[in-house]
Amino acid sequence: MAPKFKKKRKSGRPLIKLRSRGCADRPLDYKDLEHLETYLTPQGQILSRRRTGYSAKCQRDLKRSIKRARHLALLPFVG
Amino acid sequence: MTKLYEGMYLVDNDVVREDWNKAKALVTGAVEKHGGKVVTARRWDERRLTYKIAGRRRATYLLAYFEIDEGALPAMTRDLELNEHVLRYLQLAVEKVPETEFELSEAETSAEFSVPEPPGDDYVEEETAPQPEEAARPPASEEAPAAAEGDPAPAPEGDGASETPEAETPQAEAAETEAAETETENTEGEPVAAQED
Repeated sequence: MAPKFKKKRKSGRPLIKLRSRGCADRPLDYKDLEHLETYLTPQGQILSRRRTGYSAKCQRDLKRSIKRARHLALLPFVG
Repeated sequence: MTKLYEGMYLVDNDVVREDWNKAKALVTGAVEKHGGKVVTARRWDERRLTYKIAGRRRATYLLAYFEIDEGALPAMTRDLELNEHVLRYLQLAVEKVPETEFELSEAETSAEFSVPEPPGDDYVEEETAPQPEEAARPPASEEAPAAAEGDPAPAPEGDGASETPEAETPQAEAAETEAAETETENTEGEPVAAQED
């Protein structure tokens, strides 16, 4: 039986996943800014694991690399 | 016990303008003063800082690999802290020096190499201002073309967290809820239908 109505989405925007294969393909380094910028929102926040698709270990490495780059003023804390 | 370290140093552009070797000696001198040995040291980049450090908007980055005794490192970092021309530093213990570093640092020692003079503190590159946003967005939309139907800008965490764009789970949920609703409709509708008959 065909559904009569579709369930409404609570949020209008779709969740965009990067679907990365893991950090083994391209090691995370605080000097590799082009790579790190792909894991930041336009406001400079680090994307969650849901969005990056990283394992817990890779996500920790990502966090560490971004924070090192922020310390050296290579990446912004905000905006 | 000696360890190999990778150090990234932000050097004041005023010193770099005077003499690059003098700026380099700020770091290499500190390492050698405390019994360390500099393996490689080179100019990594000169760029605009994402936020002001010590009133500076631009600085030169110096990347160095050096061996130093673990016990001597705190004394060396204290020297760097006291040095006004080293704006900031990051020192990490590493296992080995990347092979490309030797070539790049050797290129700096050649006679042809010259350090370009750093621009003024207020200088802004035309390309760098829009780059971060543009560079960040296209890969996200390319890698997830199915999900990027609407606005390519990623949604805030809290909004999109409860709903995923994958077709399977929401449909399954919708089917379950509809099935439940049709059952309730039927149960409610039966007595009415009986009355009509």
